[in-house]
Amino acid sequence: MEVNVVCTFCGSVCDDGIFDTEKFKTKRLCKLGSSKFSKKERIKSPMIDGKEVSYEEAIAKAAEILVNAKRPLLYGWASTVNEAIRLGIILTEKVRGVYDQCASVCHAPSILAVIEEGLPAGTLGSIKNRADVVVFWGCNPMEAHPRHGMRYSISAKGLLVKDRKERKVIVVDVRETRTARQADLFVQVKPGYDYLVFSALRAIISGNADVVPDEVGGVSKDKLIELADIMKNAKYGAILYGLGLTQSRGRDRNVENAIKLIQLLNRYTRWVILPMRGHYNVTGAGEVPAWECGYQYAIDFSRGYPRFYPNEFSAVEVLKRGDCDAALIIASDPVAHFPKEAVKKLKEIPVIQIDPFPNMTTLVANVVIPSAIYGLEAEGTAYRMDVIPIRVKKIIDTEYWSDEKILEELLKKVEELMG
Amino acid sequence: MLILKPKVDFVVNVEAEITPELATKDLEEIKKFKVYYGKEEVELEKLFEISKQGNEKKIVLEGDFSKVKWIGYKMEDGEIVVKGNVGSHCGACMKGGKIVVEGNADDWLGAEMSGGEIVVKGNAGNLIGCPYHGDTTGMTGGKIVIEGNAGNYIGERMNGGEIEIKGNAGDFIGTEMRNGKIVIHGSCGFVGGDMRGGEILIGGDFEIVPSFKKTEDGYVGDLNVKGEGVVKKLQ
Amino acid sequence: MMLHIKNGIVIDPKNKVIKEKMDIFVKDGKIVEESEIKKDECKVIDATNKLVVAGGVDMHAHIAGSKINTGRSMRPEEMRPVRSKANKFRATVGRTLLTAPAIGYEYAKMGYTTAFEAAQPPIGALHTHEELDSIPMVDKAALPVFGNWHFVLKYVAEKDLEKLKTFIAWALERTKGYGVKVVNPGGVEAWMYGKNCRNLDDEVPGFNITPREIITSLIKAVEELRLTHCTHIHCNNLGNPGNYQTTIETIKLASGFKNDKRPVLHVTHVQFNAYAGTTWRDAKSGAEEIAKVVNKMDNVTIDMGQPIFGTATAMTGDAPFQFTLHRLLGAKWSNKDSEVEGGAGIVPLVYLPKNPVHALQWAIGLELGLLIDSDKVVITTDYPNGGPFTEYPYIMAMLMSKKMREKELERVSPYVQKATSLPAIDTEKTLEEVIHMTRDLPAKILGLENKGHLGVGADADIAIYDINPLEIDPSNDYELINKAFRRAMYTIKGGEIIVKDGELVKEVWGKTYWVDVRSKVELEAIKADLEDYFKYYSVELQNYGVEERWIRMPERIVL
Repeated sequence: MEVNVVCTFCGSVCDDGIFDTEKFKTKRLCKLGSSKFSKKERIKSPMIDGKEVSYEEAIAKAAEILVNAKRPLLYGWASTVNEAIRLGIILTEKVRGVYDQCASVCHAPSILAVIEEGLPAGTLGSIKNRADVVVFWGCNPMEAHPRHGMRYSISAKGLLVKDRKERKVIVVDVRETRTARQADLFVQVKPGYDYLVFSALRAIISGNADVVPDEVGGVSKDKLIELADIMKNAKYGAILYGLGLTQSRGRDRNVENAIKLIQLLNRYTRWVILPMRGHYNVTGAGEVPAWECGYQYAIDFSRGYPRFYPNEFSAVEVLKRGDCDAALIIASDPVAHFPKEAVKKLKEIPVIQIDPFPNMTTLVANVVIPSAIYGLEAEGTAYRMDVIPIRVKKIIDTEYWSDEKILEELLKKVEELMG
Repeated sequence: MLILKPKVDFVVNVEAEITPELATKDLEEIKKFKVYYGKEEVELEKLFEISKQGNEKKIVLEGDFSKVKWIGYKMEDGEIVVKGNVGSHCGACMKGGKIVVEGNADDWLGAEMSGGEIVVKGNAGNLIGCPYHGDTTGMTGGKIVIEGNAGNYIGERMNGGEIEIKGNAGDFIGTEMRNGKIVIHGSCGFVGGDMRGGEILIGGDFEIVPSFKKTEDGYVGDLNVKGEGVVKKLQ
Repeated sequence: MMLHIKNGIVIDPKNKVIKEKMDIFVKDGKIVEESEIKKDECKVIDATNKLVVAGGVDMHAHIAGSKINTGRSMRPEEMRPVRSKANKFRATVGRTLLTAPAIGYEYAKMGYTTAFEAAQPPIGALHTHEELDSIPMVDKAALPVFGNWHFVLKYVAEKDLEKLKTFIAWALERTKGYGVKVVNPGGVEAWMYGKNCRNLDDEVPGFNITPREIITSLIKAVEELRLTHCTHIHCNNLGNPGNYQTTIETIKLASGFKNDKRPVLHVTHVQFNAYAGTTWRDAKSGAEEIAKVVNKMDNVTIDMGQPIFGTATAMTGDAPFQFTLHRLLGAKWSNKDSEVEGGAGIVPLVYLPKNPVHALQWAIGLELGLLIDSDKVVITTDYPNGGPFTEYPYIMAMLMSKKMREKELERVSPYVQKATSLPAIDTEKTLEEVIHMTRDLPAKILGLENKGHLGVGADADIAIYDINPLEIDPSNDYELINKAFRRAMYTIKGGEIIVKDGELVKEVWGKTYWVDVRSKVELEAIKADLEDYFKYYSVELQNYGVEERWIRMPERIVL
């Protein structure tokens, strides 16, 4: 039987997937997406210190660890659904811990930039329909978001922009990527100099080209003027940016400067800017805490109310600074991705892991709780990179508990212990 | 004068909003002063050895205070000397008095400061004299001196006061600055983005945003915001 | 659970009870006759000499959804003030922007028990419902926005009223929405081209129609479908001096329609659309002119959109206006173009009493509340655009006391003296009028038969305040009024006591109302159009919309 399936890999959240329940494989989704629906090694059973236990026992132990900690860290969240994330916030508040999510090593600079300047954006559909100029800045969708171009931004067929021919695609990056090779114009920037390039573009567009030097960030003034011209003459443009801006020198100020450029362009024509979010629900991992407690990541509840200081409460910082004595890791793999110093701390403190699949973090976890796979075995709400809600589906039954159920029980147990 | 020494190895960071005012209280009250130790509010004497010598409005922090945050938060007068490193938010929202850090300071040193003096003998972290996220104004008065090096984000949205860094600094010096003075003796990275006013003097190399107008002795800008800030070489 | 509220002084305008000593009986979440309860099994609430009214109904606030959340995300400076630490209840933070738990708690403490999200972007409907379901205490609903939705524009252009009606029915079901909200019709589509539609006869780019046609067609469709709530409009030309004329023209579009249960057009936050003059230098109030027109019409209601001095956040579906505001104020700005449906924008604001423009806006809101018949004007601040809904008590007190207004006028810019008629208005609304404007009038406009009143059969949503309506003199005792309405002595929701002496005692969860009018249309009629046009969406038609089971406590109103 073939059913519609919503992909749970990247922030594109393609909802046109087809899953063959007999053959157990997908159609239409890209390689990355279909890997989420293929049979993989699972964590077989809940475990405490390597010994198989029941869900109830594992949850009881997890509750004990969290309640006894002075500052527990609850981290991950980007690959689970909103219903689970909401329980995670309520749980973190209950145990007076720190809530942080994958964005803190990824698009946190975007969140910070939005705080300072706002976000002039549009949905992916408005880009598909109207954008006659699309600029991929510091991102490589051909490899990181493979179907983004055909669905939303490159060859997508829209209302006013009928196809690829009516769209000008520009890539700005430090090297010629696969996406750059598909572009109509490639602008190569010296690594770490995007911030200056944005200032130069703003100066040119607002009539101060004369003060701009002959070369900025490795880009010639002529090239900058060419780019500025294209942008000013677009009917509706979009900058789609990625880790090239957020994880290189400048970080949040890079994104801020890009947003200021978009603000300026909107005086002449229409432009929007969107971050190319990585995980399928990293957006939800930020939106849910925003409505529950006011902030999107690096939130400390130790005083009984939420406080936002990313420099000290993002997961890496909390671990590096020795400011954490227990951790709950859900839907992520910090041991594989975090810097050595932070991983060292994770090895020293009690760690609870909630995940369908074993990974590097499983090796250091004292309590392991296997969960159902969202989008295949459990359903819930996710937010696409443009904050559009899409429901991921339950296709097959499973004995595994969903993250939502695990967290519900964990919260109950914690409330019991705390009296 | 009040002397505090860490008594235990901190399992998590301590948040101690200590100001020199505390030194004028009697010993019993000082011992019971509440600080945050993770989610627990604990009495000062549980975590620190306390000794009081006279009623001078001065606090000496002896030892490694790198895991102790918010020292000097909102202080109005008196003196704090840290004989070691100190944690983040040291001197945040300071209105007066003096803080001397003999070791290194962490992030948010002197954030939103409006008066007083902070001297750091070692290095400092990021976000010096800066506004907290979303606030429109950073430092408005007072003086911060860093003998060593500083990180990124210095004096952003500054509207008064002075920051002096004897060593080198990172990126984003004086972003959206309106008034005040920043002096960097060494070299630094990106300078002057969206600057509207004020003065930045730099001894070594720096990378100014390309939207400034070159003048005889330096640069004026940021033209992107019709700014009239001045950036020049320190003589 | 049975309640006996004893000896309260009741004001229940719908049932013509004005300051009468009356007992109220509650059973199974409803107000019942005394004969239905067993007095000895009841919990008794002694309301002797205290005001007893229905729970408040906030018919227009921006409390849940994408733009509210982006507002929070981009304003940590607003989220920083701590209201309460976590204990038995959730921690709450926020100055004028609030977290979802804080919204529910603050409404409850104020004695409000029903709140409507004023503008739901259809493609983001599920997000709105997720946030509504994170707001405790109140019953709620959402109003999806139609005025720039391509299907609507298409059917208006084709003059196909039947398809328009069918589309509305389909859309309300898919969004689980409650009624037809219209925001700057045509203008937001124009913004996709960097333009706007300020006048009713401006052309909507790409569709060859005008705002006038959009509004008239939607009113017709809504009336033929006999939806519980009338067309609810945020007028074109919002925020511009001289716009009062656009507002009057819009109001007059209701002429010729008749509905005996409710108005035919509700014009929202009229303050922002009541400016006379040509620029901000010579701007004046257009409130008197608007009031004259509204008072003459028998089928139009409005709500105030009252500014409150202090910080605020402008967030509306009027994307082009939001950009204009960003330019005017030099403030940070968020925007969201929503596929083929509409848009939104957010800009932080502050209202300062000494600023002539802000004082003018403040005065205009009050003029509207005072000059318009109490049967036609609802109290709102268009939260958070004008200010926090927690300031409704301030507005209530001001409408009832000339003395209080005079005192306030002393601290505001003298500009209002010649630019508005506020200083000359002697009207002091009565307590029953102000209760009417916050309870049964909004309930009537929304078509919520069991809300806003205390008759038998009504939902047991009740508020008891610490004032004696028989003794208090609102004209002089304005400080007591302002204080008393901020913290209810008791708030009862569905028969449960949730607030006592202004403090939360129990957390409950409310229902989400939505309107199902599919039986009046043939959905097949638009199936081909949907399937064809959905190629311009970025999601599949089969995945578009909200299923009931995803909502905590859906309440389907079948028409």
